[in-house]
Amino acid sequence: MKSVLHAIRRINIWAVLSFLFIVMILLPNLVIVVNFFTPGNENWQHIKDYLLVDILSNTAILLVFTGITTTLIGTSLAWIVTVYKFPLRNFLKWGLILPLAVPPFIGAYTYHGMLDYTGVIQATLRNQFQIEVDQKHFDIMSLEGSIFIFTLFLYPYIYVITKSFFEQQSASIVENARLLGANSVEVFFRVILPMSRAAIIGGVTIVLLEVINDYGVVKYFGVQTFITSIFQTWFAMGDIDSAFKIAGTLMIVVIVILLFEHFIRGRKRFSYASTKIRPIQPKQLVGFKAWLAFGYAFLVFSLALLIPLLQLLYWAFMTYEDIVTVEFITLVKNSFMVAAIAAFLIVVVALIIANYTRLYRSFFSKVIARITVLGYSIPGAIIAVGVITIFIALDDLFFSLFALFGQEPGFVLKTSLIMLIFAYVIRFLTVGYNSIESGFEKVGNTFTEASMMLGVPPLKTFFKVDIPLVKGAVVSGFILVFVDILKELPLTMLLQPFNFQTLSTKAFQYANDEMVNEAASASLLIIIISGICIFIFHKVLDKGEQS
Amino acid sequence: MEVNVVQGKGNELMERLDREGEATEADVFITADAGNLARLKEKGLTQAIESDVLAQNIPEKLKDTDNEWFGLTKRARVIVYSLERVDPSELSTYEALTEEAWQDRVLIRSSENIYNQSLMASFIELNGEEAAKEWAQGIVDNMAREPKGGDTDQMTAVVAGEGDVAIANTYYVGRLLNSENPEDVKVGEQLGVFFPNQDSTGTHINISGAAVTKHASNVDNATAFIEYLSSVDAQEVFAEANNEYPVNEEAEISETLQSWGDFKEQDINLTTLGNNNARAIQLMNEVGWK
Repeated sequence: MKSVLHAIRRINIWAVLSFLFIVMILLPNLVIVVNFFTPGNENWQHIKDYLLVDILSNTAILLVFTGITTTLIGTSLAWIVTVYKFPLRNFLKWGLILPLAVPPFIGAYTYHGMLDYTGVIQATLRNQFQIEVDQKHFDIMSLEGSIFIFTLFLYPYIYVITKSFFEQQSASIVENARLLGANSVEVFFRVILPMSRAAIIGGVTIVLLEVINDYGVVKYFGVQTFITSIFQTWFAMGDIDSAFKIAGTLMIVVIVILLFEHFIRGRKRFSYASTKIRPIQPKQLVGFKAWLAFGYAFLVFSLALLIPLLQLLYWAFMTYEDIVTVEFITLVKNSFMVAAIAAFLIVVVALIIANYTRLYRSFFSKVIARITVLGYSIPGAIIAVGVITIFIALDDLFFSLFALFGQEPGFVLKTSLIMLIFAYVIRFLTVGYNSIESGFEKVGNTFTEASMMLGVPPLKTFFKVDIPLVKGAVVSGFILVFVDILKELPLTMLLQPFNFQTLSTKAFQYANDEMVNEAASASLLIIIISGICIFIFHKVLDKGEQS
Repeated sequence: MEVNVVQGKGNELMERLDREGEATEADVFITADAGNLARLKEKGLTQAIESDVLAQNIPEKLKDTDNEWFGLTKRARVIVYSLERVDPSELSTYEALTEEAWQDRVLIRSSENIYNQSLMASFIELNGEEAAKEWAQGIVDNMAREPKGGDTDQMTAVVAGEGDVAIANTYYVGRLLNSENPEDVKVGEQLGVFFPNQDSTGTHINISGAAVTKHASNVDNATAFIEYLSSVDAQEVFAEANNEYPVNEEAEISETLQSWGDFKEQDINLTTLGNNNARAIQLMNEVGWK
């Protein structure tokens, strides 16, 4: 009896809420897992016989090569901007983050549009210089093309993480290596890369999960992957059971990647090896070397942001009169509204869970923390399948409840914006949680403990002490989630309610209907808004580091 | 009457309608391809509509046998050829494109696309599974490149010299010719439109159409809406906007379409496209049509 009372006393509002949120995250995934173990039908056999090898090999190639290229580009750029001074360095330092504002699917059809026979490059060659070129050199709709696109628009994940690692970590080590006679190339490959392994692996994992989650690029380029197969089996063949099976197989791939990360990273986190942080003093490059560094950084910046942006501007200029109407304003409002609401909810949920897991360290809270960061690993399409299934079940329940009381049946689904936002929260909670958790980690527990020892109850402490302390992390989390939702595609496409589209789904719809010019206005707006958010985030982060 | 719209890809919306069941707010479902409409009916998501207006405006062949869905616009899946390198006298049928003469010259998009699935489904209906599979194999053998991009991309590739003929829907040609981008227009002008199988089974046609959903709460308004879409006025706007053929025979067709002339259509009830869809996909997978 005593122990029961003890256990009950330990159950507090934080634990209950955290538990509820976790159930919410797990349910849609459980739907997939349960369905994975039902016996396969004839379609599943067909998929195994004719498609699975292709799907697996395409996915493997995309993952391996995108992993390699993003690592090389991300780390080398981070390295260059950290240890050298060269023309425009201060601008490029954060400018190189901005390609994150470009959703890869927009990059994909923009590049296809530019390189195409009727695109600006070939048209100029043809009309101005009478040069006809071999199409082979301009074909981007392929596996290689997908890798190119993913590399350009995903490398910043690695760049950002390794850059902050280099800035805080490497001064003495690099100086020692230089003293020992290593040249720049040697320092990079023999010291920097191995040393920053944990940081890089963290970044690469995000890149790989993004590649797996992608629907827009591979669908547009006609590369068969897990996600396109899920869509095809579920929708074209009308066979949700086999779609569940593909989704389950994909989950195994995701788990392998996460285990791989865990294994390689070991116990290392990309945090400081010593508490003393001495920022590295960048070396002034002169002459040819300065221009080489500038040229490389600027080339990546141009390919990943400047050039696509100019192309989209041109297309938008051509079509905006027909596109930017009242309807377009609604699109903007919709996109802002759902992204802001979901980001707000995520921040609240993340605060509650993060507060619980840091204050009440137990096996249970550790499990909760782990599950919280799982959502991001699950591709949006899979979450959508699970969420729809759950909401239908809920609706049936409400339906019979209403009927029971002799009321006119009503439906939760009528407000299915709730369903979309619910799915966003599951998918992007990780992003908010990571930000807030690291915020809490930085300030530690001492202030909270002091406050509670002075007799302030936990809830009051939470609002008066904890939240103000991690304000920066909350803002960062909100911005990151907001941008992610603004760019999100497959989940939104599957769950958007009536009369409701976002800039993202509209842009993709135009592009996929072979109206690339018309897709430009919405695409441009997504990029500009995301760009501003990322810029703000960068500034907030910078301030946080200086204090 | 106020009309609320949710947009998406046909088969995704269908799946959603299915999952929503009685909870759906949708009264009318509009989608491209008879295959989608037929599957909608097969899943029990539509209801029969008795309407004299619709019976009069829409030909028998372009609607469901049980009046559960109605075609609203029509397009042909034709052979588009390079005016420069192909003499139309070389062209005859879809089947002929599998002959050796067309090796490495044929452009067509992926088997994931519903237009190709429906084309294949029509061949299963007309020629039997075995012949249809042989045709798909022959097309794969003669492909100028791996399938990629949309119909527009196939036509552009013809002009760029990657292949000589492409299989594409008529309205895409119309769209190129009427584009705001002068480069698109130039591409369109270098292409010819050929209606295959005129001496045999006819050119494959398909529709965009509408159905009243099974659980519609406003059946009368939904019916009135579809009736309106089939009227001459709406048909002309509807078809003109996307260079499609109207189903209402009293409606005028666009100038672009007129310039290609009349043609003989495949004579199958479009319902079969839905019935054969899954088999079509399987056969295309089996011959390695990406």
